[in-house]
Formats: sequence, structure tokens, C-alpha cells
Amino acid sequence: MLISVTVNGDVFEREVEEHWTLLRFLRDGLGLTGTKEGCGAGECGACTVELDGRTVNSCLALAVEADGASIRTIEGEADQGRLSTIQAAFARHHAVQCGFCTGGMVMSVRDLLQRNPRPTVEEIKEGIEGNFCRCTGYEQIVEAVLDASGQLDAAKGVLRHV
Amino acid sequence: MAARFGYRAPRRREELLALLGEYGERARVLAGGTDLLGDVRSGLAHPEVMVDLKRVEGYRELGWSADDGLLIRPGVTINDLLGDDRVRASYPLLAACAQDLASHQIRNRATVIGNVVNASPCADLSPALLCLGAHAVLSSQEGRREVPFTEFFTGAKRTVLRTGELLEEVVVPPAGADARGSYHKLKRIKGHDLGIVGVAALAEDGALRLGISSCAPTPLLVDGLSTHDPVDEVVAAARAAISPISDVRCTKEYRTHMVGVYVRRALEEVA
Repeated sequence: MLISVTVNGDVFEREVEEHWTLLRFLRDGLGLTGTKEGCGAGECGACTVELDGRTVNSCLALAVEADGASIRTIEGEADQGRLSTIQAAFARHHAVQCGFCTGGMVMSVRDLLQRNPRPTVEEIKEGIEGNFCRCTGYEQIVEAVLDASGQLDAAKGVLRHV
Repeated sequence: MAARFGYRAPRRREELLALLGEYGERARVLAGGTDLLGDVRSGLAHPEVMVDLKRVEGYRELGWSADDGLLIRPGVTINDLLGDDRVRASYPLLAACAQDLASHQIRNRATVIGNVVNASPCADLSPALLCLGAHAVLSSQEGRREVPFTEFFTGAKRTVLRTGELLEEVVVPPAGADARGSYHKLKRIKGHDLGIVGVAALAEDGALRLGISSCAPTPLLVDGLSTHDPVDEVVAAARAAISPISDVRCTKEYRTHMVGVYVRRALEEVA
């Protein structure tokens, strides 16, 4: 089936198989390999992308379902090689170890901060509950989100408020 | 996904019902896909064609009427429900159950009707819908029929839905202004997880109803109780209604125990 999708602002028309997941289309069809396949079952969130403004597990959507949709992937996060505020905060706080979860994690954090620009620690944990990290641990990720939302006094390394 | 299947995305409900009539058992309705695509991937479902209902006109809208209450159509996602101020104001119990369902990404895709129609014993929304006296509208080319949720579930992942039939609407009657609800769900972790025991409670005009999940082949309604009943009697009624099993998540003894714990907590909140 021929589908037309907008991905990170660019329009693509591609022939896809009906049984392809959106994840497979992004990776194999468009070469956007920043979106990862972890569990393939909607548990881990490594495949998180934005579909028409809402974060989804791209392993649990079909490419054909995205016909006509606007998609944002982790490749759309940096602006011409300049890290976004969230990406820079992740780097600063060592919130990345193996990096496999990071793309999906950043997509969820971005979505969270759009809905809630100054989330509490509890709200951050809830915001990333659909994204598993199996090596860094979540402390640095939570710190990075606090920093990205202007809630961390980085110079002193202490929280302004939690 | 290794399995192959066709894909149809009709725009009109008549087309959708015609496709379901034509393909029968060979078709599966695709709504949010969060259960179905997992089942296809793990070889539990083998549809010849996926019939996507999300493009059917009007299917993604919530409906309201003074007489009937809230009308939930098949494309309405969990987050659509949660994002509606009227739902939060008038049906806080339903919102509480919806909020506990999986992760934000899943709630963006999973539909209310999909959660119910798959008839998992641990579905989050079924206890609330049972307490609220909701009913299902089932449509096919032959016509439509209404079935209260107390008669909808026939076993684990089994319902009265016939081949070619679609659960087209969930109707939730208006809740009384004094209605108070609560939902408790036992999980292994605080984050997104399947329920091990779920207890919803609704008190309205002195009447008390309990909706219990994960403790029998189907979600259960325990009705005919009063907020003035002694707590031990309510707990005994709940324990008499359930028939829990031991499985990978916990033992039946633990489920039985936790039903008592949650019923007591719920009564403190609603009675």
C-alpha cells in the first residue's frame, strides 16, 4: 500500500507492506535508526515516537495506520547538529550509558515537558514510566529532566526545589 | 511482524460492518492495536485482514446526552477519556481506573472499548463500568442490540459478541451528584503493570457496588450492598463472589487476602 507521511517535517511517499510496523518502516524504509526496537511488545518504550502530536510505541502501530500522519522521531530533536535543551541536559548529567533507551526516553521527556513544563520528581517518574532504562539507572535521567525544566541549580549541584 | 495480513480502513460504519460480515472470523477489528498487534506478533492471533476502525467518521468522539449519560465510541482512546473535563468531573471513578492503565504511550493508542472487549479478567476499565451500570451496544449488518456489562463477559477473554459484530458504543448512565468512587489496583511495581487484584467501589444513595478484577475468569460486580453494612459483611460478600486462581503473579490465597484489604480501604473512602 502506498502511504504518505510527514517525518520530522519532510514528506515521504513510500510503498509499504501492510504487516510492517511503523517502527520497521522508520528504520528499514527511511533509515531513521535512532528509534530502537527493544521488547517489541509496548513495554520498554525504546521505540517511542510522536504520531500526530502524541507519543506512541511505534512497535505497536502499523505503517499503514500512519498514512497521512505527521511523525516526529529522535532525529528531529537536534537542530542542525545543535543538541536540544533536553539532549544537552542528558549529556550533562550522564543520563546516557549504553544509549539504547535514550531516544525513546527523550521523546517521552519532550512530551512531558510540553504538557507540564515544571514537573515534580514524582511527575517525571510517571512521565517516563513507559520507558525502561536497564543500565544508567533513573536518578541521572530524573536529574536531567529537572535541569532541562530549569529546576536544578547546576552550579551548586543541588535541587532548587523538589 | 512475521505474519502477513491485509489492511482495510473504511470511512463509514456501514462499510466497516459489511467488511466484518464478509470476512467473519478471518477479520480482526483494529482499534488501538496495543493488544492485537502483540497477539499477532506472538502468534496468538492470525487475522487474514485487519479492519481499522479509526477512520470511521465520528468514532473518535465522546458523546453526551442528558438521558443516557456518556457515550464512548470505538476510536476513543484512554487518554481521550482522561483529557475530557466532563469525564473527570462526572465520572471520577472511570478516570481513576483509566489513569492506572499501562503507560502514557499505551494510553495514547489503547481504546476504552478495546480494553473492555478483549475481556481480560484484569482489564482496568471493566470494574468501573460494572459499578456504573454501563451497557454495551453491539452492531452488525443484522442490526443492533444492547447488553449490560453484567451479561457481557462469559469467560476469560470470552464475551457474548458474535462473529461479524462490533462493540460500537459503551453507554455509561449519568452518575448521581453524591456518588463517590474509589479504585485500588495491586501491581508488582508502582509504574505500569498488569493488575494482580483490582477493586473499584461506588457508593450512591446509600447503595454500594464493588467491581473486582483479576479474581475470577471475568470481571465481577458485587451488588446489593449498602454503605451501612458492617465492613466484615461487605468483605465476606466480596470474598464469596470471587474464584481466584494461583498463577505467575501470585497465589489465590494472596488474592483473596488482598480483596479484603482493598474492600476495607475502599469503604473508608466512599462510605
